[in-house]
Amino acid sequence: MTEQGAPTPDTQATAAGETASAAAAPTPPRPAPPRTTAPRTTPPRTTAPRTTTSAANRSRVDATDIARIAVFAAIMAVLGLPAGFAVFGSVPITAQTLGVMLAGAILGAWRGALSMIVFLVLVALGLPLLAGGRGGIGQFVGPSAGYLFGWIIGAFVIGVIVHAGGRKLTWLRTSVGVVVGGIAVVYAIGIPVQALVTRAPLGLTTLQSLVFLPGDLIKAVITVLITMTLVRAYPRAFRSRARA
Amino acid sequence: MLTLYRPGTSWFYRAPAGPKAFVLLLVVLAVSLLPSTYLSAAIAGAVTVLAYIVSRVGVAELGHQVVATRWIIVITFGFQVLFLPMESAIANTARVVAAIVIAALLVLTTRVGDLLDAFERGLRPFTRFGLDPARVALVLAVAITTIPVLTRLAVGVREAQRARGARAGLRSFVIPFLVVSLKHADELGDALTARGVS
Repeated sequence: MTEQGAPTPDTQATAAGETASAAAAPTPPRPAPPRTTAPRTTPPRTTAPRTTTSAANRSRVDATDIARIAVFAAIMAVLGLPAGFAVFGSVPITAQTLGVMLAGAILGAWRGALSMIVFLVLVALGLPLLAGGRGGIGQFVGPSAGYLFGWIIGAFVIGVIVHAGGRKLTWLRTSVGVVVGGIAVVYAIGIPVQALVTRAPLGLTTLQSLVFLPGDLIKAVITVLITMTLVRAYPRAFRSRARA
Repeated sequence: MLTLYRPGTSWFYRAPAGPKAFVLLLVVLAVSLLPSTYLSAAIAGAVTVLAYIVSRVGVAELGHQVVATRWIIVITFGFQVLFLPMESAIANTARVVAAIVIAALLVLTTRVGDLLDAFERGLRPFTRFGLDPARVALVLAVAITTIPVLTRLAVGVREAQRARGARAGLRSFVIPFLVVSLKHADELGDALTARGVS
């Protein structure tokens, strides 16, 4: 949610910059002048784009989306519970990163990322939902903070790749999406932040975090299997609403 | 639901959630920016102890919190001591642990409900960017109430599998669990729509 506010001022700033440069240049050769001049003539236009963006957001996140985002945040919490199913073979692994991969693959980019934000906000507000019963704002200043933020971007990237070009999920796209978003993106954000927090050299930190790579690769495989099974077991989960 | 909140009555408990979070984050930031020296390690430790004494949370709770970070201590120190000078390893570990333990004061002394309210208030300035704080609060509230529901569903899935003598595995658990959870999500969405949430 908090991320959602960020792109808007940027786009508004660039839009303002474009109109300013268009006003400075006397002869705009592009075929766009009617669009750029039209809003300039109406003074109260500053409110107009705001209402349209808020309306767009409101229509994009409807009741079904709210329910799915909230439920997937809760799924993340359940996957972090200490239980027998968190044991793979004899090695106890946290199933929570499995939830990150599943969120992007099932819910898609925006809803997947929003469900991660909701889950992390609940953690920050003091619910002990991270694997091992950890929680609180302290988790976001510790060495693993970058991985937590990486979950948001990771779920988004997974959703973009897995759901690219239509609704039909393919094995290849799902596999690529889960590995790129769920492992590469999460590590790319998590490792530098860990190096920054612990002030260890980046190379050493990378070496240290490679310990988790086998487990994450296993989880990526499991995610792909689960996702492709779920497409047949509960296709409604992947069906997005008709967008007007 | 179980939270990290520890009931108490000192002035720090009664302080409003928003300013408390702000002050704690400033202290955490200051500690995080200390250089990697023995002196910094001592300062970080002193600030942490002082914070727990001044807030009247107590040194005993500080002990619990430090124990709770034992894996971070082991992993950070254990790895750094192999490759970095002893002074850096000790200072870096002390700094990281101090930041986490000081930040923990917020959730130790503030109810989740109060923090939720403060969070919603904090989002108000973002209304102009199309963010609806009431909607955010709704999602958070729905998520919180859904956790025990899904926990029951998870237990149900496990018991059904055990009754059939099915082998316990991550994949064989997650697929039926996801199906019942997502089905619950769709019912929840219908219920929200029926109550006027669009």
